[in-house]
Amino acid sequence: VDLCSVSLGVEGMTCGSCVQSIEQRIGSLPGVIHIKVSLEQKNATVICDQSQQSPESLLEAIEDMGFESSLSDSSR
Amino acid sequence: MTKHEFEVAMTCEGCSGAVTRILNKLGDVKFEIDLPKKLVWIESDRDVEVLTETLKKCGKEVKYIGIK
Repeated sequence: VDLCSVSLGVEGMTCGSCVQSIEQRIGSLPGVIHIKVSLEQKNATVICDQSQQSPESLLEAIEDMGFESSLSDSSR
Repeated sequence: MTKHEFEVAMTCEGCSGAVTRILNKLGDVKFEIDLPKKLVWIESDRDVEVLTETLKKCGKEVKYIGIK
């Protein structure tokens, strides 16, 4: 599989529970291999299968959960 | 319009803020959130299932309590 690492800025998280719900929900999306959300840095790092997820689709999924998200960096 | 009562497992302002943004996106609904009691009241003509699914988007546990 063609893996890529996507880093997204996430605004609006205030506690560990927010972090956990994002990790669970995004982590269960198809093609998502690994996700790490940082409350301090207000970002999420996702390792995913490029053929199933794109930085844009991940961004949309986080926004859909009610958090503001922005594309900060993506490397392949 | 019917007023529905939901229990959502919110633990902080981040959670209730997420619920607020999700409901705002839905548009034609009026709602109130009581964070300490973990309750959300929604005034809407939409189906309970639609509202429940919308609330579930934030990744929290959602329980429908009934018509207020």
